[in-house]
Amino acid sequence: MWIAPKLRQRLFRSRPDDQLPLTIEHQRIYILPTARGCAFIAALLLMLVASVNYALSLGYALCFLLTGLFTATLLHTYRNLSGIRLVSIESRPNFAGSDVVFDITLDESRGSDRHSVDIKRSGAVEHRATSTVLKIDGDNASSTPLTVTTHQRGHLTLGRLTVSSTWPLGLWRSWSYLHCAASAIVWPAPEPDAPPLPTAPSVGGAGAQQRTDEGDVAGLRDWLPGDAPSRIAWKRAARSGDLHVLLVEAATQPALATLDLAQTRLGSLEAQLSRLTAWVLQAEQQNADYTLQLPESTTGKQGEHAQRQRSLDALALYGLRPL
Amino acid sequence: MSAHASSSHTRRRPTFALLHLRPSTSGVDQHSLKALAILLLLTQLPHVLHLPLWVSVIGVALIGARVISSQRPHLAWLDLLLSSVVLTSFAVLVAILIRLHFGYFVGRDPAVAFLFILVAAKFAELRRGSDATLLMCLASFLLLTQYFYSQTILAALVTLPAVLALGHALAVVRDPENAASLKSNIKLVGVMLLQGAPLAILLFVVFPRLSGPLWSLPEDGVAQSGLSDSMRPGSIGELSQSSEVAFRVEFDDAPPPYRQRYWRGPVFEQFDGYAWSERRTATRVKPSTARSDVIDYTVMLQPHRQQWMFALETPTRLPVGSDAPDASQKPLATLLSNGQLIADEPVNQVIRYRQSSSLSDSLIARERPGDHTLQVVSNNPQAIALGEQLARQHSTPEAIANALMQRFSQAPFRYTLKPALLGDAPVDEFLFGTRQGFCEHYASAFAVVMRAAGIPARIVTGYLGGEMNGDYMIVRQSDAHAWTELWIEGAWKRYDPTSAIAPSRVESGLGSALGADEPVPSLARLGGGWLTTMHLHWDGMNHAWQRLVVDFDNDSQAELWERLGLRTPEPWQITALVLAASAFWMSALLGLPGIKRLHRFKAERELPPAERAWRKLERLLARQGLVRATGESPRDWLARVAVQRPDIAPIVQRLADEFNVQRFARAGDANGVEMLRADVSTLGKQLRKQ
Repeated sequence: MWIAPKLRQRLFRSRPDDQLPLTIEHQRIYILPTARGCAFIAALLLMLVASVNYALSLGYALCFLLTGLFTATLLHTYRNLSGIRLVSIESRPNFAGSDVVFDITLDESRGSDRHSVDIKRSGAVEHRATSTVLKIDGDNASSTPLTVTTHQRGHLTLGRLTVSSTWPLGLWRSWSYLHCAASAIVWPAPEPDAPPLPTAPSVGGAGAQQRTDEGDVAGLRDWLPGDAPSRIAWKRAARSGDLHVLLVEAATQPALATLDLAQTRLGSLEAQLSRLTAWVLQAEQQNADYTLQLPESTTGKQGEHAQRQRSLDALALYGLRPL
Repeated sequence: MSAHASSSHTRRRPTFALLHLRPSTSGVDQHSLKALAILLLLTQLPHVLHLPLWVSVIGVALIGARVISSQRPHLAWLDLLLSSVVLTSFAVLVAILIRLHFGYFVGRDPAVAFLFILVAAKFAELRRGSDATLLMCLASFLLLTQYFYSQTILAALVTLPAVLALGHALAVVRDPENAASLKSNIKLVGVMLLQGAPLAILLFVVFPRLSGPLWSLPEDGVAQSGLSDSMRPGSIGELSQSSEVAFRVEFDDAPPPYRQRYWRGPVFEQFDGYAWSERRTATRVKPSTARSDVIDYTVMLQPHRQQWMFALETPTRLPVGSDAPDASQKPLATLLSNGQLIADEPVNQVIRYRQSSSLSDSLIARERPGDHTLQVVSNNPQAIALGEQLARQHSTPEAIANALMQRFSQAPFRYTLKPALLGDAPVDEFLFGTRQGFCEHYASAFAVVMRAAGIPARIVTGYLGGEMNGDYMIVRQSDAHAWTELWIEGAWKRYDPTSAIAPSRVESGLGSALGADEPVPSLARLGGGWLTTMHLHWDGMNHAWQRLVVDFDNDSQAELWERLGLRTPEPWQITALVLAASAFWMSALLGLPGIKRLHRFKAERELPPAERAWRKLERLLARQGLVRATGESPRDWLARVAVQRPDIAPIVQRLADEFNVQRFARAGDANGVEMLRADVSTLGKQLRKQ
């Protein structure tokens, strides 16, 4: 069916045109009876027919009282959604194959509590749509994580959000489409069992020293996605509940590694990126100096975690058109 | 603020874990189960009054069993009992039992009984969320069916907790893990019911009522107390012990004196030696009109499932619907030659009719009665002998009748509700043996003796009396009465033997005519103290309820429209009215922009014109995202606007100047204000065009 694009945008918010912060107003709230609501309507009709047939005045009264209740719940369901404000969407990047989390922060502008508001991601078919239920207090903003399982590197657009509610009696469902241009970066999945970090042929001095996992424990740092399980300080984790990774001090100063696509000696681009990702992680673990050289960019050492982040982002977006 | 995932973990109840262990019987959580159990018990409550006891017990037991089974998972036999197979076969068994109990199945009462069991059984084997939906719908319907049996104020009040419980159940089933407390849910549902009430009342008033049913099921033979189509010794006496209301009457003028409140009902001419019964040979006649002292009144007759209607002796017209303006309307009944009013169909619901009567104790008959009015059966030889003896002693029928009346008043005859039982010759045993009886004993004996004396005689049953309560009269079953009519000189003349034995019964009612040890309903005794007063108040409320709510039908609607000076609206007009009213109602509740704008409009009309124009300008620019910052002077603001929006800069600058002039220089200058307003609306048009 052909619908004028403008109307379609207004009805279904198919383009990510919404700007944050965004208040859900009556123009974009839909409301329809749920399956239970339809069953309730059928019951009301049956009751009406019985009242008509037996001329039951109180039957009419009961039937209309419940009709009034049914209609009043429509208003409450509507009001539960109206005035909710989408404040911010923050994403936490992760590797392909793991979950990317969007932190969606809602508050509301009418000073009344909201109950059982459901947020669902729709649009992107290949991803599992996740939903989450939250309650918004009149006073505070409420942040809820929306988890999306990823399969490939690159930009993951959040897509259209459906915010809905069946509160209070589950007879009506009101919903609203919100479509903001939010996205997360999905890093390439690190290659499992990747070969050890290559040593730089020119840089790093003579006799590239073999890196080894053995060595003195130099310290602990917080666990980051991608760290090998063998490096986690399990004993400590058992005590404190937090994951930490053992920092191993290599016997000698690590060599400066230059990582590029050719070094991987792999055919397909994705496999190359995957191995480079693994190497970046290895280098980070070993606290080695490295430079990532991609045809478009070179990521050198500038700061601590920043390099890791920048390298991974570059790998994630390599060869993709910017959004 | 609480994201849900975390709170549900901390709030998980032990019962929930338990449910996971028993997926076979409990797909529904404890909260839903509890809420539904409350709903069902409240729904069942009013039905217990009319259902056979065993049906009620089974229904309540099924619900109890399921609740117990969910709390005590180790009772394996209970789980087995509540399995689908067992419950289905049980439901079939109950259906058969119901068929046996009522004697038929396709009918209102067995259907209600079966629905009662079905709802309970469905609850007992509740599995899924969709089952809960079905259950709540069935429960709503079951709630309605109680009105088949009672539509009193009490019945309405009993419904309210069930409606609240329905709302609670809906709320809990929607999201059982985060269910709010019963108290807060009830508060919420109560608020929503109140919000829905205006719409409900409007619908109740304007929804078109039909005059007849859409279909009818085979008639249900529910025993309703009331007069029956035969009279044997003791039948009226039994009825007299009920204080149920037979009908209520509103008189246009003063009510007749007590001794003239003879409400004529079934007439019996056939006597088999023991019981009196109707003889269906009476022909239809026209009521005799144009009599003196006619009184007009309206009767609200309670359903008694028979065809007779009641009128004071002697009716001068046929009953018509109470809201009809004239006698032009089709009458609801016909008048038979024996003076009985027979409704066109059995009185199965409360009917309200206009009636006129001329107070007289004789009924002019057009034809001589048949020989059956002289028939006596030989099983009462002594009575027959007495009649023949009286006929020899006295010459005129009046003298014969008075002689027997005299005899009743003098001999040791006793008026009592607890007479000794009578055998095969009831009249003889009563007249010459026990000499104690209630009105039907006296009437029966009187008629038999008169017939033996050669005077045509028959029995009339009905009600004698009625008690005024405010502006209307209540006639109760305890006012049931039987008297005699004798054919004397071309008319059936009323002789009430009870007036001879117990004059006070005829003068002031049953309570005063019987001893304190008699089982008279307390309401039939006069001066019963505060209890009686309270009862009368209660009946007054019930009467108003009956008139205003229960009897609200198409006639009442027509009357209402007429009183409003409107013609009865067409269905589409009613639909439009309801839709418009709901739209208004919703916006009133929501405080939608429409209403807000109306408020603002009203408030702004009070302001000076320049101030109004300024506010309009502020609104126009705010819509463009150009909001005046706090602390920003109007002048600075407009300057900023002019910079930010070069397209409208000229007009904005002009406006800034004009406002300045208005504010400081020539306030109230009519021309300046006019220019200002024109410029503001020009700006509005310009912005709208973009």
